[in-house]
This record gives sequence, structure tokens and C-alpha cells, in this order.
Amino acid sequence: MTTATTPLGFVDISLDGQPVRVPAGTSVFDAARVNGINIPTLCHLQNQTPVGVCRLCVVDTGARVLAASCVRPVEPGMKVVTNSEKVVNARKTLLELLMSDHPWPCARQQNSGDCELETLAKAAGASPSRFAKRTVARGKDDSSLAIAVDHDACILCDRCIRACDEVKSNFVLGRMGKGYSAGIAFDLNSPMGDSTCISCGECMVSCPTGALTNKNVVGTVIAAGPDAQGLQAEDLLQIPVFNGVSGTFLELNRGAIVKHRFRKDQIICREGEFGSTAFYILEGKAKVSISTPMAHVKTQGGAKGFFKRLTSTLVAREEDQREEEARDRTIPIDASVDLAYGNPVAELGPGDLFGEMTCMNFYPRSATVIAQSDVVAFEMLRNVLDIMLKNKTFRAQLDHTYRRRALENHLRGVPMFAGLSSEFIEHLKKSVELQRYAPGQVIVQQGTPADSFYLVRIGFVKVSENYPGGELVLAYLSRGDYFGEIGLLGGGFRTATCTALDHVELVRISGDDFRDMVALFASVRIGLEAVAAERRAANQQRMHMVHNVPIDQFLSQGLMEAQSLLILDLENCTRCDACVNACADAHDGITRLVRDGLRFDQYLVATSCRQCRDPLCMVGCPVGSIRRRNSLEVIIEDWCIGCGLCAQNCPYGNINLHPFEVLVDDPGRTGSKKTAIRQKATSCDLCMNLKEPSCVYACPHDAAHRVDPRTFFATMLGQGSAK
Amino acid sequence: MIFDDLRVIQLRYGFLPKAELEGLSQRTQTPLYQIHSVASFYPHFHLLPPPKAEVRVCADMSCHLNGACQLRADLLSRFANSRPEDVQIRDVSCLGRCDHAPAISINDHIFTDVTAAHAEQIARNAIQGNTIREPYPEHPRIACKADPYGESQKYGVVRKLTQSKDWEAVLAQLKAAELKGMGGAGFPTSMKWDLVRKQPDPVKYVVCNADESEPGTIKDRFIMTNLPHLLIEGMIISGLVTGAKRGILYIRHEYRLQEEILGAEIRRCYGQGLLGKGLLGSDMDFDLEVFVSPGGYICGEESALIEAIEGHRAEPRNKPPFPGQIGLWQKPTVINNVETFINVPQILARGVDWFVSQGAGGSRGLKFVAVSGHVTHPGIFEVPMGVPMRDIILNHAGGVRSGRQLKAFAPSGPSSGYLPASMADVRLDFKALAEAGSMLGSGAIVVCDDTTCMLDMALNAVRFYRSESCGKCVPCRVGSQKMADLLVGWTQGGVPETQYRADLALLDELSEAMSLTSICGLGQIAPAPIQSVLKHFRTEVDAHVLQGQCPSGICFTPAARAGEAPRVGIRP
Repeated sequence: MTTATTPLGFVDISLDGQPVRVPAGTSVFDAARVNGINIPTLCHLQNQTPVGVCRLCVVDTGARVLAASCVRPVEPGMKVVTNSEKVVNARKTLLELLMSDHPWPCARQQNSGDCELETLAKAAGASPSRFAKRTVARGKDDSSLAIAVDHDACILCDRCIRACDEVKSNFVLGRMGKGYSAGIAFDLNSPMGDSTCISCGECMVSCPTGALTNKNVVGTVIAAGPDAQGLQAEDLLQIPVFNGVSGTFLELNRGAIVKHRFRKDQIICREGEFGSTAFYILEGKAKVSISTPMAHVKTQGGAKGFFKRLTSTLVAREEDQREEEARDRTIPIDASVDLAYGNPVAELGPGDLFGEMTCMNFYPRSATVIAQSDVVAFEMLRNVLDIMLKNKTFRAQLDHTYRRRALENHLRGVPMFAGLSSEFIEHLKKSVELQRYAPGQVIVQQGTPADSFYLVRIGFVKVSENYPGGELVLAYLSRGDYFGEIGLLGGGFRTATCTALDHVELVRISGDDFRDMVALFASVRIGLEAVAAERRAANQQRMHMVHNVPIDQFLSQGLMEAQSLLILDLENCTRCDACVNACADAHDGITRLVRDGLRFDQYLVATSCRQCRDPLCMVGCPVGSIRRRNSLEVIIEDWCIGCGLCAQNCPYGNINLHPFEVLVDDPGRTGSKKTAIRQKATSCDLCMNLKEPSCVYACPHDAAHRVDPRTFFATMLGQGSAK
Repeated sequence: MIFDDLRVIQLRYGFLPKAELEGLSQRTQTPLYQIHSVASFYPHFHLLPPPKAEVRVCADMSCHLNGACQLRADLLSRFANSRPEDVQIRDVSCLGRCDHAPAISINDHIFTDVTAAHAEQIARNAIQGNTIREPYPEHPRIACKADPYGESQKYGVVRKLTQSKDWEAVLAQLKAAELKGMGGAGFPTSMKWDLVRKQPDPVKYVVCNADESEPGTIKDRFIMTNLPHLLIEGMIISGLVTGAKRGILYIRHEYRLQEEILGAEIRRCYGQGLLGKGLLGSDMDFDLEVFVSPGGYICGEESALIEAIEGHRAEPRNKPPFPGQIGLWQKPTVINNVETFINVPQILARGVDWFVSQGAGGSRGLKFVAVSGHVTHPGIFEVPMGVPMRDIILNHAGGVRSGRQLKAFAPSGPSSGYLPASMADVRLDFKALAEAGSMLGSGAIVVCDDTTCMLDMALNAVRFYRSESCGKCVPCRVGSQKMADLLVGWTQGGVPETQYRADLALLDELSEAMSLTSICGLGQIAPAPIQSVLKHFRTEVDAHVLQGQCPSGICFTPAARAGEAPRVGIRP
């Protein structure tokens, strides 16, 4: 049909009987589309290389088989029929095949009513399908915060794969397996949330069905006030940090990000409050501080006998210095700065992100942020922050801010690094790597070669060792803590396993840099070796205990590390609660003891701090103020902000909050003070100032005893087995 | 090359540990997903630690006809109390030992003519940690009519051509001989070579498809064992004629012996200046290497094969463009079957007239055919093209064994469908078989005696395609499974008549859609076996569904109901 009159570079074809002229190289699909003929398709998108896998766009070109029009270029004289009975029937069968395995209605159809497969199938009369359903479900993947994956709704159109590769160059998604069991997979078939996926959302907006859909966070919308403004996707995309984020994703998450304008002196967030958002400052300056009194709870009195009431008071460090507190440490907070113990105030400015832990891990706010000038800031929910954190531009910026502002403090905050030269810190600023870990991800594995040293920047890391019968948690590390030195200084192998408990961000110092550091700075080496030796000794001691008390139940119930357990002999106990009342009397009316707990034979182990094997109370402290002493006692540091998370986390109810009246700056009147209630967490202090714990003393039936669990249980259980 | 990297890792660990794949990704700057998409595609690679004895029973046509189901059931009961980390018994697609059925592989070593007791012994040996070795059958060099050289100096055609350089004459002779592709499609060889020759691109390739994996097809195995020099000569000629300087011989990994024979022959050629730079002192170069397939029937599809060489998933490309225009690494590529290549030096050495005279009944040339199934002497035979099928089955393969009657035969594995005994006089010829509603294909004649259930054979063939579908396009990926599901229903009974009528209509719609819309031949041909059975053995199928009877007593048995063992490469 291309004749002498066809201009160069053009092709004449016949399309459903009509003569049509299109540029050479045009696909039959496009030739039809520009001429007003709509050919159905599921795998073809205009901005992606056509792959011709769904076969719905087949047309009759007069050959033995039909041709997929999206991948077939026009040829001179081609006679194309797009809608013959043969073609329409074939398409209907294809839709029916896909519908037989399709969860109907799928997530997309339910959310927005626009599942492309269901729409086409309905139009073609291919639904419900006459074919047998798939017998083995391919499953769902709920691991990503932003995107829900339903493999059963996947029709393998490869749109998401091309979106990830061609459109965004992220190279995460591919096909896996073969034939009928083929599916899509992230990286090495990792769950999406654990993969290298940056949640750009491109796959999801490319997906024709409910296989990849936007995940709604519960209570997604941030309350918008007079000074807060919900944002349109177009507005956001103008802002450089949103460069590379899918506009459709932002569109779908409208309400999960809000722009606020805070006036000078307005409080942006308060320490101790629970929240679920993070803030990103666009303009202006803000002051970040903690206002809690720098003091810990001390129980005093009792010198004249038990009936003199004990008093708990707040004492500052100067008056009551505890061991290990001699060193000055910085207070880790949920922002890109650390606060100095002496003066816990810092400034945040444009480009700073704060509230990351609150947003990602739902921990209480670690500090109070007050606008110092007019401040414009984004407040965002978890799914938006997750996407932002995975965005290359934003990551690079955060990374830069961190290296510039916080890394030095962070390093210097580790006492033994105080002696590092500025040059070396400058070198480290460039060479360290920031790494993110998802909850549950193993950072280092016991027994594997040690090649790096880590500082915790965000989140909690569980340090555990394998021992016969299970895992022993050695410590929970949070911001400001470090690990990896034992392996590097010692035999070159990891002595413990470190696992991310929540969203964790670490500063990784390479083994080479670490060795340089140790070689160049004697103070660092001496300090680290001392700490490593201390940790090794403490670990050995714990392992030793474990080996000497081989009673699984005993161990698993968290008793083995207890210094002094309160045991109630239930054969004598009349449940009069005198012990509880005595405890309350001795502690400002607040009991630190509950007559409830685990039973062994006739004994009840009442709840009072038992220095657990796995001290869950330490997980989540937003300011890292609860920790374990080398003597195993759990202590609460001065800067406890009274948020109560540790009390909530303690499975035995052994941590209580103690209210104190304190003087604080009056926000209403600059320069003056006012009285306010501040809480501090407390746990059982064994009535340390008394000869005997008040609970034991108060028991009228000789049922309450304080015992050393190792000897007591060894004897008691030994007798039990002898019976 | 990704396959080499993966093989090195698998050799060291027995499987592909995640940490090693992550290391490979770092080293080679390959995205993780690419490594996984390839490693999870090919049955050759293990993503999980394999058991000590991985027993795979060939489940396809010839082995199926020779008791593979019973063998598998026996083995499953013999190892019923074994731990999965010790032994796993699964199905595998055709291992290319159809003349010695049933065949099994244990830890990738192939054993033929096995009994359950024999297989158990080998597997127990492997469980105990002993190394097991594939027995290499002694293959005496069988003198073939196809070899123009005999005891005289080989590679005579190449020697002459490097002097004359008369490429047009080569193409003219191939055209005059009407040489067609012997892999199944029967495309004229001279046209293919001429197309590549005319491409202006200075870089071109010659690829030999020695990946024959269709059940029943073992002729290339025989040719590579006995006539390796003809194959290499054919490839060199193709390179010289088309201007390609590099050849790749793609061989299935189950053919280790042939890989060795060809490797030795290639080294000999390099030693004699027949390969490499300045071929025989001329100004022409041609290098040849062997590429071992990571496995799968789909790799025999020419564009899927090219994808495999490039290190991708073996998913067929949309055509056009054809490999002759855009092939391996986007360059013009000649890709021919083993038997096509060996025909070239035959024709050029002895002339077109000789070639024409070798055929029977107006057909041309010689043909290697494999006969397997229920015959007395299964094997590979060199016959004149055009002889009647009955002649081959009776005179070469010794007829149907144990005095049984011929019921049906597949002229070329599952792709050709099944023809009834009444059509056994059909000639071995492209046109004659096409007219009979079948095809010459690769010459893999599978013979069924009168104890065979044809519905069972159709289901067996459909399952083969289902298992070997690459999954790229919808009609084949989903359609092959739904077709198998439908037939399973028929073989298990309990389908009411109205449902059966509806099923038949649905099957026709499905067959039509698969044939018309699948990207490659696999999906297009997958409906052929059941359609041929419905055409020639309809009463038998009706008896199954309407009367609940299997005339051959195969279906409705507990063993048949138990369904199939999971196949390699099928990961639910």
C-alpha cells in the first residue's frame, strides 16, 4: 500500500479497512491510538519500553498468529484488523485466564475502583472466569511501610519492573521463578520492606492491579490548624528534597504531610509527649532543649527505725555522684544534634529533621522544640518520612548535615574518643558510612569476621550471645553507644550478635580506620581496651552464671540475674497486703511492689525489679537515661524526662513514675520561675537505707523473704527434684 | 559471565548462599534482582541447600511410557522414612535419554534403564556421602552415510572454500538442495544465511542450537557423538559465508559426554589451524566455543537461547526482528540446529544431486530419527528422508515390543501431537506430515502400543509444556496450567456431561487463544497433543468422562489420582 506517493519516512497501512499514514517505526498500537482506535492492553504504558507480554493488544496482520501491536512496528502495506471476532475472542480468553487467579475485587478495585484487569474483564464479559482457580496462593508482603504487595493480584505485566529500572533507575524489582510459579521479587526475593527499595512509589503507580498498592497509615491525616496547610503534590514536587519522589505517591498520601508556620516562641513539640510525626525545618530557627531537672531520685531517711517514713528526693549529680557518672556525657536526642549535659540546649535550622524516632518507632518526644524565630516546617507521618529517608537527595542532605554537625559531637561523646585529633575527626567525617537497618535485621553475627566498628545514631540495637538453650541478651544499645570493638581488638571475630530492634541508623567506621585510630591515639586504645576487657569480663560472668544455674524455666523467666528477690511463701501468706502497704508507706505513698508474679512451688516471686536477663525497660528510652550498672542494677540517669515508656515496657510492673514539684522557667513571663510537676521513673531500691526491706519487715506472717535467688532456688528446686 | 560465577559458587557450597550472591552483586555491579531472577529461573541452580541425594525422575513421554510413574512411586515408598535433608524425589523434564528409558538423575548425574532397586542403591550411596558418577556409555563411532569423509582427511569443504571464497556458490547450492532447518520449524537455510550475509554490521555470530530438549528428541546427541567434525565444519562454513567471526555451540548440560567430544574436536581444529585467526593461512578468522546451557526446554527456542547466552532469563523475544537481523548481543546471528549444520558439508562435498538422491518418495537428503517408547530397539537411526513411518518403526526399531499392536505414534515428540496407527504410512517429510495435521519437527518418533491411554499421554504432554513454560506471556504461563487442570479433571472422573461439553468448548477457546497469541512456539504448540487426541481418539476421551472408564486402565487408579510429584523448576 506504500505507493510512490508515500513521503519518505512514512508508512501507509490499512487499519480496520481505513488507509492510514504514520511515521515509519510507529508501533501498530500507536498507529491505532492516534487514529482513534483504542486497543486494550495491560502491560503497555506510554512511558515505558513495550514488552508485549500480556498479549491483550494482539491484532490480526494476516499472519499465522496474531501480533502484539505494542511491539510490532508498522510495515508498508500492512493490513491490520484490530477487532475481528478472532481477535476479540482471543483477548476475552486471556482476560478470563488472568481473572481465574485474580483476587476479586483486588485491593486497587476496593480502594479506587480502577483495577485495569477487572475493568477490561468486565467490559469483555470475561468475569467471572470459567477456569479453575490457582490452588496455592502466592501470598502477600506487608513489610513495606509505604506499599502493600499482593502477589496473588500480580499479572506479571512487568510494568513495575520497568518503572523501577527504566524510569527510576533503582534496580530493585525483577521477575523470579519460572512458568506458572513466576512472580515479582525484590532483590534476592527479600520482603519489600527489607530490600533496597527506596519506596519511590513508581512501581505502585505503574501497577495495573492491586498487586502494589498504597498503604494507608492508620489515622493518616495530620490535623491542619489555622497555621497549618495541607499540601498538593505539585507544590511538594517544587521543593528540592522531594526530587525523585513519585508525584502520584504524594497525591495518594495527601494529608500525611502538612506545612506549618510556627510563630516565635511557639512550642513545636514537648519532651515526653507521645507522637507519630517528624518535623523538617524549611525556614527559621528553633531551640531544642530538655527542661527536666538534671537530678535523679534518691531515697533518704530511715535512720531512726522502720516507722520513720522514707523520703524520695531529687538530688543533683554534684551532691550524689554515682559510680560511672563521673564522665561527662552528652544526652542523645531525636535530632541531628546531641545535647551537652551541662547545658542541654541546641539550635535547629533549615534542613534539620527531628522526631525521626518518634515517627518511625513511636517513641515519646525526646526534647522540647520551641520556635526562636518564625519557623516554617513540614510535619509528616511515617509513610512519607520513610519515602523521604529512602530518597537519594534527601538522604544525601541528611547525611551531610549529620556529618557536619553531629558526627564530631557524637564521636567526642564517647569518652575514649575525646583524645582524637581534629584532623582525624575530619578524616572520619568523610570516611564513615551511615547505614540503616530495618527491625529484626542482624547487623553483626556472632562468629563472623569483624570488619567494622559501629556507633548507634538512631534506634535500639540488641546485643546477644548464643548459649546452650537460647539467646542471652547482654545489652540494649541506643544513641551514643557503640559496639564492635571487642571483635576488632580481640580475635577478629564477632563475640556477640547485634540485631536492630527498630529502625536503626548506625555510623560505620571501617576496620582500617578503626585500627588507624587505635594505633595513632594511645588514649583511645587504652580506653577501648579497658571497656572491651570490662565487657568481656561482664559477659563471662553472666555466662558463668548461666552455666551454674542450668534451670531453663528459671532462666527463661528472667530471675537469674536478680540480686535480691522478694519471695512470698504462699503457705504462710494470708494475702493481707501489709508488704505492699509498707512499701508504699516507705516510698511517698507509691508502692514499688505488687503482690503478684511468677510462682515456683509454694513461692511467689513478687514483682520488684529483678534486673532481667532481657531488660526490656531499656528499649525505647528516648533520651537513653535508663541503663544497667556493671553491678547489674538497673539505674535511671539524671536526665530522665518522665515519659513513662520504661514503666510501660517493664513486663513485671516494676518501674513506677514518681511525681516531684520543681521550679521551671515560666513560658508566660520571661526570667521568672513557676512550680510544675515533673515525673521521674523509679524502680525498687531494696530500701537500701534500711537494715531490712520494709516489705519483709512489715510481714506479720513471716511469709516475705528477701533471698539471693541463686542459692535459694538451687536449694529449693534441688529439694523439689529429690522428692 | 553470570552463569560461570553462579556455577563457581554452587560448586563450592552446593547451592547459592545469599551472602555469596550479595558479594557477587557487589563485585560485578549487577543489581541483586538480576542475579536472583536468573538464579531462580534455571533448574540447574539451587537457592537452598540441596539434599544429599536429589533424585529426579524423568516424567516425559518415553520415560512415562516405560514406567516412570511406577518408578517414582516405588522410590517414594522406599524412601518414605527418609529425612528431606537426605533425599528428595521429584519429577524432572526430559533428560535426553529416551532410548534408555526410564532415566533418572541423582545429584545431576544421569542413570538410564534404571530399576527402583538400582536407583535406591545409588541414592543410598549418595546419602552416605559417597561421590557418585554418571556412567559414560561407550559410544563406538558408528559409521554414518552422512559422513562424506570416512577415513580420508576431514574438513575438505572448508579447505576448498578458504581457497575459492565462492560464497555465492555455497548459498546457491544450499538453495538448489532446498535444505531446510532440522530443528523443527523447517526454515530454508540458504535464506537465513543470505539474510545475515547481507547485514552491513561488521560483527555477526553463528550459533548452533544443540539444546534439543523435546521429549523423544535425541538425534543431536547421536550426531555430536559420531559426527562432531561435520558439525564444526558446518559452523565454520556458516561463519565464512555470512562473515561471522565467532561461533557459539549451545549444548544442554545433560550432554556431558558430547561436550567433551566437541571440546576435544575444537581443540584439534585449533591445533590444525581450522579455527582461530587466519584460518588455514587465509585472511579469515573464526573462533568457536561451547556454551553449556543452564537448563530448560525453553532454551531451545532460538531467541530464548540467545537471551540465555547473554546471561538473562531464557525468555523468547518478540519477533520480528528475527535473529538474522538483531540476534545475539543485538548483532545479526545465524542460528541453526545441529543437523542443519551437518547437512551443509554433505551437500557441498558431494553435490546437490547426491543430496537429492538420498531421499525417498521425492524427499531429499538423509534424516536422523530417534525412535523411543514401546519399541523393541529404541535408538537413533539414519534414514532417507521420505520413508514411511511404519518402515522406520518396524524395520529400524524392531516394531512394537512384546508382540503388542501399534496404537499411536508421535512423529516428533509432544509438539507433533499423536497420530493413530492407521496413519503410520505417512512419510517422514515436511509436507507429508504437515498435511497429516502433524509436523516433521525434530524427528522424535515416540511409539505407543495398545495398552496406552491417549488422554493420559495428552495430559503428560500438556504437563511438560506447563513445566517448561518460561512464564513470560499470559497465554502460555496461565493457559498451560489451566489446560492441565482441565485434563486432570477429566482423568479423575466425576465431571457431569454438561460440564464436559462446556469444558470441551472452553478447551477449544483456550487452544485457539494460546496458538494465536503466545510469543513463541512453546505456547503456540502446547494445545497440539490434546487437540490431536480429541481428533483421533475422541471415543476414548468420552469414555473417561461420560462412562468413568479408562479403556487402558491407566486413569482413575490411586496412583493416577495422587497426581504428580513437584517438578524441578516449579516453585509453588
